[in-house]
Amino acid sequence: MSKKEQDSSGVSRRRFLQGAATGAAAMAADIAAPNQSHAQTRSDGSPTARAGDAPPPTARQIERDAGDIRPPAIPARKVQRPGSDLMVQVLKDLGVEYVAGNPGSSYEGIQESFVNYGNPPNRTPEFITALHEDSAVDMADGYGKAEGKPMVATLHGTIGIQHGSMAIYQSFYSGTPVILLAGNDQAFIPAHTALDMAAMVRSYTKWDAQPSTLPEALDALQEAYRQAMTPPRGPVLVVLDMKLQKAEAGNLAVPKFRPPTIAGVDAGVAREIAQALLNADNPHIGVGRLRTPEGIQNAVELAELVGASVSTRATQGPMSFPQRHPLCGPGANTKYDYALGLEVPAAQVALIGPTVKTLSPHRDVMKVGFGGLRPGSTPSAFRRGPRVTPQRQIEIDAEASLPAIIDHVRRMMTRGHRRTIERRSAAHAVANEKAFVAAVQKAVLEKRIGWDLSPISTARVYAELWPLIMNEDWCLASPSNFSGAHHRQLWQHNKPYSYLGGQGAGAVTHTTGACGGAGLAAKNRNRFVINIQTDGDMNYTPGVLWTEVHHGLPVLTIMHNNRAWHQELMFMEFLTGARGRGQTRASIGTTLREPYIKYAKMAEAYGMQGEGPISDPSLLSAALKRGIAAVKRGEPYMIDVITQPR
Amino acid sequence: MKRMNTTSLSKPGRLLAIAVPVLAVALAGAAVAQRSIELGPVSGDAARGKQLYYDYTCYGCHGYNGQTGRQSLIPGRDAILANEASFIHFLRLRADYAPTVPAEPMPNYSKKTLSDADAKDIYAYIRTFKLDAPPIDKVPALVAIVRSAERKPKMPSKHR
Repeated sequence: MSKKEQDSSGVSRRRFLQGAATGAAAMAADIAAPNQSHAQTRSDGSPTARAGDAPPPTARQIERDAGDIRPPAIPARKVQRPGSDLMVQVLKDLGVEYVAGNPGSSYEGIQESFVNYGNPPNRTPEFITALHEDSAVDMADGYGKAEGKPMVATLHGTIGIQHGSMAIYQSFYSGTPVILLAGNDQAFIPAHTALDMAAMVRSYTKWDAQPSTLPEALDALQEAYRQAMTPPRGPVLVVLDMKLQKAEAGNLAVPKFRPPTIAGVDAGVAREIAQALLNADNPHIGVGRLRTPEGIQNAVELAELVGASVSTRATQGPMSFPQRHPLCGPGANTKYDYALGLEVPAAQVALIGPTVKTLSPHRDVMKVGFGGLRPGSTPSAFRRGPRVTPQRQIEIDAEASLPAIIDHVRRMMTRGHRRTIERRSAAHAVANEKAFVAAVQKAVLEKRIGWDLSPISTARVYAELWPLIMNEDWCLASPSNFSGAHHRQLWQHNKPYSYLGGQGAGAVTHTTGACGGAGLAAKNRNRFVINIQTDGDMNYTPGVLWTEVHHGLPVLTIMHNNRAWHQELMFMEFLTGARGRGQTRASIGTTLREPYIKYAKMAEAYGMQGEGPISDPSLLSAALKRGIAAVKRGEPYMIDVITQPR
Repeated sequence: MKRMNTTSLSKPGRLLAIAVPVLAVALAGAAVAQRSIELGPVSGDAARGKQLYYDYTCYGCHGYNGQTGRQSLIPGRDAILANEASFIHFLRLRADYAPTVPAEPMPNYSKKTLSDADAKDIYAYIRTFKLDAPPIDKVPALVAIVRSAERKPKMPSKHR
């Protein structure tokens, strides 16, 4: 019997109807033969039924017959406070803004709580409709990179985990904090369940749990957040059994959240580093990818306190030092006598937290050996080896170390230090500005080559964009490695989210979803997202376009439409030559021709405004202006640009 | 000229045999990149060469017009493109060597798969390429990029 045939009192609809019919027949019999004296009496005088006799009317039937009709009493709901409400409350308490998912019955309990629980409902977190689990996880990846904190992606049983697995794999390699919630309904379709759901992705998640009670589930959700946010950061998975989602929580309270404790250097090392920075004539700080915007502020504070020149990875990925800070650059003197690395190698001391890849020996339970890592081996966080070998590399989180170092610098600072630092900082600012302007002047000389070509040069796409966005709050969320990465030389990356970096595991299928997630981060922050979207990537999960329209995400998608998986075409071109068979068939299986795909039409199908294909470079700037205007109104926009291959 | 049988050499030897002339040509190209190179005559059919440039996927690394991608193909800037002979010599340099992992992105174009006549047609098409590089001051976007670099950015500062 299906569950829909069963009412809340546990009486089936069919049985209820049968019962009603029997009662009515009995009443009819009584009415039809009121004067017949079939009834016998027992010795005590009470009526007794004989075979074929109708039972006497019940009190309720008599009431009904008399016209005294009252609705049946509604039985009390068995579940007054669903367990899934408490699960959502945990996420609310943690400030989780969004949950992206493709619907599935295995998590219908918590989905119902997402959309109905709370006042107002469906806010913090808001449920975002994804058209594929890969998109949902990619969205969480893009959001996590932009904000430095996790959002949630939901996965429907074994199906959702496997659909989302590629994006999980990329998040793992990116070290992005992502919380994955997988539903598990053992009472429904067996193929959608498993005994150990997380095992499918354990090799490339940081942590997982499959709680068996509601209190455990609430704890697991809090622990998931802690694990995702603590170095090494990465995707974490909690499997939520349907019974727990639908269980009565009763008086169970959400436990108080205990924030993660992230260790930094001890006081002795902090003092030593502070002393070295102050004693140096020309200190330098290298800043890699920190965890949060607050970490960047602290890095800025330290650099300003000690007057160090700073190198940044802001053009390579998120959460690094602002590129146009006056201290950012080689400085007035490149002979550094003390260099401190914050998540990057440096000559003297490097503070580098563990990467999630170091967990593989413990997490790779299936002994797959992803990335060529042999099961059981204990990899260095830097398997390829740093270009600079530091005298001292400390495996500890740099961001967590900064407050103690800053504290010691402040305590040890003298007036003499201050005067020296002021002079040095001023000299660095002049030199860095000069170096930056010279680099840009050199870059524009290169990027102008092919300016008026059709198809349009990728350099022109980036160059035309900059004047339109330079005074706005923008985020370049698409990996730029396949479109020339011209922003690195032409744009200025001053925000933690200016550029979100690569795909993680270097695979396409990532960009559309990640840009959607960056759009979620941008939505209520007066920011917009630029997506220079490779065509090969677009065709894996184009449904993200619908999500962007449906949820009003400010994402400008500019197609880098070279009508190929162009990197593969170049590889094939090389190999056909190397094997002496000629290049004329290298395009088979590597190009998107016959027919060409019309991406503006694709956008239109998903309800998105768009235009193109544009192959005339003189039309590009105006189209970009229209696109920027749309995303500033909070409307996603698509421009299909026919581009040079690279 | 008798060709060296590179297959009889050890792997490092083969690499050297290949790498040295390639490097020599590349360095020669680099050394004269900034000055105009005297160009030889063209005997091929540029119109046919345009189709071959596409069919042989030359556009993959050099762009449809020889100005974008890994390496621009502007005649007069690179010794490899000085004349038909230097161009064909460069195409053939690695024709007998097929490394598993490419150390050099330029593919092999052996005589077996690309005839001298076809190579000359491609060369003729390449010779039609003209550098499209407008003066910076004529391109508003590039002017804006330089001006924005020259402006002092407003930067949040925790310390000050």
